Amino acid sequence: MRTLKTNSRTTFFTLIFLPAIVVVLFLTVYPVLNTIILAFFKYNYLSDERAFIGIRNFLTIGKDTVFQSALLNTILFATVATISEVLLGILLALMFYGEFPGKRPIMITVIFPMMVSTMVICAVWKVLYHYDIGLFNYILRTLGLKPIGWLIDQNKALLSIILVDIWQWTPFAFLVMQAGLSSIPKEVFEASSIDGAGYYRNLFLITLPILSNQILLVVMLRTIDTFRIFGKVYALTQGGPGNSTETISYYIYREGFSYFNLGRASASALYALVIISLIAVFYIKGIMKEEN
Amino acid sequence: MNKTMMILIVVLLAFPLSVFATGAPEEGGSITLTIAGRDGAYGDAMQLAADEYSKLNPDVSFEILKLSGSSLFEKSVIDMKSGVGTYDLVLIDDPNVTQIQKAGWLADLGAMYDERSISLDSDFIPTLTKLGRYPYSDDGTLYALPLVGNVELFAYRKDLLDKYGLGAPDTWDKVLAAAETLSANEPDIFPVLFRGSKGNPIVTGFLPLFWAFGGSILVDERPAMDSPEALAALEFFLELAQYAPEGVSMYQSAQVKDALYSGKGAMAIEVWPGWIKNLDNPEESAVVGKVIVTKHPAQVEKSSPMIGVWLAGIPEASQKKAAAFDFLQFLTSAEMQAQMADATGIPPTRTSVHGISSLVEKYAWYPAQLDGLRNGVPRPRTNKWKEIEEALGTYLQLALIGEMSAREALEEVNAKIGEIVE
Repeated sequence: MRTLKTNSRTTFFTLIFLPAIVVVLFLTVYPVLNTIILAFFKYNYLSDERAFIGIRNFLTIGKDTVFQSALLNTILFATVATISEVLLGILLALMFYGEFPGKRPIMITVIFPMMVSTMVICAVWKVLYHYDIGLFNYILRTLGLKPIGWLIDQNKALLSIILVDIWQWTPFAFLVMQAGLSSIPKEVFEASSIDGAGYYRNLFLITLPILSNQILLVVMLRTIDTFRIFGKVYALTQGGPGNSTETISYYIYREGFSYFNLGRASASALYALVIISLIAVFYIKGIMKEEN
Repeated sequence: MNKTMMILIVVLLAFPLSVFATGAPEEGGSITLTIAGRDGAYGDAMQLAADEYSKLNPDVSFEILKLSGSSLFEKSVIDMKSGVGTYDLVLIDDPNVTQIQKAGWLADLGAMYDERSISLDSDFIPTLTKLGRYPYSDDGTLYALPLVGNVELFAYRKDLLDKYGLGAPDTWDKVLAAAETLSANEPDIFPVLFRGSKGNPIVTGFLPLFWAFGGSILVDERPAMDSPEALAALEFFLELAQYAPEGVSMYQSAQVKDALYSGKGAMAIEVWPGWIKNLDNPEESAVVGKVIVTKHPAQVEKSSPMIGVWLAGIPEASQKKAAAFDFLQFLTSAEMQAQMADATGIPPTRTSVHGISSLVEKYAWYPAQLDGLRNGVPRPRTNKWKEIEEALGTYLQLALIGEMSAREALEEVNAKIGEIVE
């Protein structure tokens, strides 16, 4: 009787959750499977031409110089932006540790960039970076220096976009670090001070080791996010000048939604998925290790 | 499990599916037409026409999507391909229309004309109606009507050229000579302006020069960018670009317009009717009465402005095709085109509207615009144009920023176009 009741409850809960499971499967598993399948086809959505071509999409994309540039730029972008944001986030958190007059309004100002839409930020920075009428070059000219082609020089355009990302997302790293810092009991620092430890000893032997979980988490989240960089490239340079700011997401977007080459877009998306998954696994292992 | 539970489960299972259910067509009574259109002046013009139409037909209302060019293309393609029929009228940039016509996603307007026993008005500029036909010929099936008569034009500061005794730049050699003179004598002036941004902008700036030098992108659907004409054109373009502003490789329409309106630019090798409508408005322009807008210079070939017409078509999947056709007739009528041109500055596609004296007085370049529309060159009729344009735009910019020589850029782009059309 009891078993019958348990079975009935199990069936009931299975059925009650079934709609949600169906929706989740439809929205997550199906697109991924479909992407994997499409990657092996030459498929143009517009013309409806669809032919199985095995791994040819992966090979042609791998040989495509634009994709190669996009991959290198993405890795460079993710590395530089993530490291800078985390370091600056830690620095800001340390600066804001403790009480001082005007702390709240200053904090709100510091985290403001994170709250603004990327497109709005890009519109502002595009004007600031403008070669002829931008504020930065105006200051350089006023100082008697040569103006810089922030977005027009292919050696500087990617760094200019990285700078915008750092400006926007350092506050996120700062907030997480600050939350971590606040959770460290003050007695720990007091005890170490009594034992004769100075500021830097405290920082490197107590604060940073305790914050390591938060640091790893922010590094993981920012790496994954910067690896998917799209909006800033779209709004500021559209991949130019030349291929100097091409990124994987922008490449996928163009293949998929400009040319409607869904086979090639899927294959390039899978390249990105594999890389991001490897990064995520690497960081998650690190975090789990820390926890153990 | 009791009956109530079973009903609950069925309802819960059915709910997600109901989200995807589509609405039935409206029957009788009021009707709402959904238009996938453009933003900016095009959107204002469409809104004006829709409001006027609703005044005359109170039972017809409109939902107008005012989208950027790329967003419009994405949304309209996805909708037409799915056959859902969300849109009753779509705006299409002329180089994109071939693939949409070929896919069979647009309603046959010729058949709709026949059903009503009316015919296409001969007032439409023939080169433009031809763009709405598939196959691309004078007797191809009509799938779209020309709505916005966009054509590339050439603008120059007459006062500056007169100052140095330079005549009208009616050949590209004269443009280069004028740029050299202005560069030597007017240090605060940018002699040449164009959009150098990667992709469509730089291609658009380059094509009138390229065609005037006798170049072709495709010949018999094969790449032809490795010709001596193409090389001569690109080398000339790069020479001319030396007289453009330092940051020209990232110039978009806003920068070209700023330089032209502020008086900092002397010759814009590419302007569009929408950019220049306020050139003689003293509140917005510092060069009132000083800029001549005309057709492009010639070289070994005649003046070859690029046509960039926007067409309006009715998706085959629309469930309100008849109502959409009636509105399309109203939208493209001479009266409405004149009203839209006057209010928003969008260029008409009818010959008669180009002759309305009040409009010619307001927009002095109308004769040049009409000439450009009649004799301009459309981009190649291929369903791979977007990819070709992107490749061409990338390599042109690489040559512009000195990353490649003209010859290398053309060899690379020729190979790339070969891969695309394969």
